[in-house]
Amino acid sequence: MFKWSIIFENLPFLLAGAWTTLSLTVVSMIFATVAGLLVGLLNMFGGRVIGAITRVYIEAVRGTPALLLILIVYYALPRIGLNLPQFPAAAVSLAVCYAAYIAEVFRSAVESIPKGQSEAAFSLGMSQAQTLRHVILPQTFRRVLPPLANEFAALIKDTSLVAFISMEDLLFKAKIIGARTYNVFSPYIGAAIIYLIMTTPVMQWSRNLEKKVE
Amino acid sequence: MTGDTMVSQGKLLVVDELHKSFGSLEVIKGVSFDMDFKERLVLMGPSGSGKSTLVRCINWIEPPSAGRITFDGKLVESGKYDIRRLREDIGMVFQQFNVFPHLTALQNVALGPIAVKKVARKTAETEAMELLAKVGLSHRADHKPAQMSGGEQQRVAIARALAMHPKLMLFDEPTSSIDVELIHEVLDVMVKLADEGMTMIVVTHEIGFAKEVADRVIFMDQGLIIESGSPSEVFEHPQQERTQSFLSKVLLA
Repeated sequence: MFKWSIIFENLPFLLAGAWTTLSLTVVSMIFATVAGLLVGLLNMFGGRVIGAITRVYIEAVRGTPALLLILIVYYALPRIGLNLPQFPAAAVSLAVCYAAYIAEVFRSAVESIPKGQSEAAFSLGMSQAQTLRHVILPQTFRRVLPPLANEFAALIKDTSLVAFISMEDLLFKAKIIGARTYNVFSPYIGAAIIYLIMTTPVMQWSRNLEKKVE
Repeated sequence: MTGDTMVSQGKLLVVDELHKSFGSLEVIKGVSFDMDFKERLVLMGPSGSGKSTLVRCINWIEPPSAGRITFDGKLVESGKYDIRRLREDIGMVFQQFNVFPHLTALQNVALGPIAVKKVARKTAETEAMELLAKVGLSHRADHKPAQMSGGEQQRVAIARALAMHPKLMLFDEPTSSIDVELIHEVLDVMVKLADEGMTMIVVTHEIGFAKEVADRVIFMDQGLIIESGSPSEVFEHPQQERTQSFLSKVLLA
C-alpha cells in the first residue's frame, strides 16, 4: 500500500536522482538548442543538398523512438570504437533527438515572420546572412521561447528513458527503492510528484510567455 | 567611379522588353521604358495590371523572367552587376510599410548604413536623426512601430530608404494601407523629395499627387503599358478606352 513514510525516508535518495534528471535535461537542452538552431537555419538557407540532408536527419529522428537512439549510442557505438560514458552518451542522444524537434521550432518561427520583412531588408542591400542576423532572428526570439519551454518540459520527462542504460535518474532511483522496500506504489508516486514539481512551472512559464507574445 | 561622366548624360534607368511570370501566369508581358535623372514617373492601372510587379522587378525583389534592366549605365544581371549593389542604390517603400517592429524608428533608419555600408553607429544615428526630422518624426525617434500610426510608420520607412542615399526611389502604393486622414502626411514628404530632385517611380491611385509631381504618367493594363504621357495628356485626353474607364472609376472614388 501507499505510504508517505517510504517517500520521506528515501527523499534524499530520490532527490539525488532528480538532480541527475535535471542536470541531464539542462545539458542536453543547451546542446539541442544550439544544434537545433544550426540545423534549422541550414535546412532553410543551406541550399538544396544541405537542405535535403538536414531534412532526412529531422524526419529520421522524429520518426524513431528516442529510446532507440539512446541504446544505439550507448550499446552499439562502442562496437565501432566510440565509447561514451553514461552521462555523455545520454546527453548526446537526447541532444541529437531534441535538436531535430527544435530545428522545426526555429523553422516555423522564421516562417511566421512576414515576407515583407526580408524584402525590406533585401531592398536596403542586405545579404541573406545580414537579414537573418539583424531582422529575422531578433523577431523570432520571442516567438521561439514558448515552444522551447515546452520542449524543455518534454525533455525532463524523456530523460527517464536513460533508466534503460542503468543511469540513476529519478525514475531509476524510484525503481531501486521499490525493489528494496517491496513497495512499488510509494516511490513511483513520489517520483511522479517530483517530476510534476519540475515540469509544471516550466509549462506555466511557457503559457504566460505565449500570452505575452500574442 | 568609372564611367560616371559618360553615364550622367545618359539615362538612369532603361527597362527593355521585361517579362515576369509566376508559374504559367505571365504578369508582365514585355514592358519597355526609360527614365532620366530627376524624372518623376507615376505608374497607374487597375489591380492585377502588373504595376507592382514591375516596380519589384526593378530592384530584383522579383527577379525578371526575361528582358534587360540597365541602371546607371550598368546592365543588371545576376552575377554581373551585383544585385546587392543595385539595391543599395535603389530605395523602396512598400504598401505594408515593412518597418522592423523590434527596432525603434531611429534604429530602423540607421540599420541599413550600419549593416550594409559599415558606417559607424554614431555617424549613422546622427544622420538617421536628420532624416527623421526631415519626415517630421524627430519626436518619435525612440518609439517602436507598434506605437506609431500607419502614416508615421510609412514615413519611417521612407527615411529608412533615404538613409542609403539612393539614386532612385520606388514607391509601391505607399498610401494604400493608410487611413485617409493621414495620407497627406506621407504625400507631403514625397512631394518634398520630388522638389529636392529625387528620381522616383510611384505606383499610386492618387491623381492629385500625380498631377502635382509627375513628369510622366504610365498607364498599365494586363501586363502591358497601354498609355504614357504628361499628366495633362493622360488625365485630360486619355487615348485608350481602358484608361478612360479606369480614370472615371478612380475619379469617382
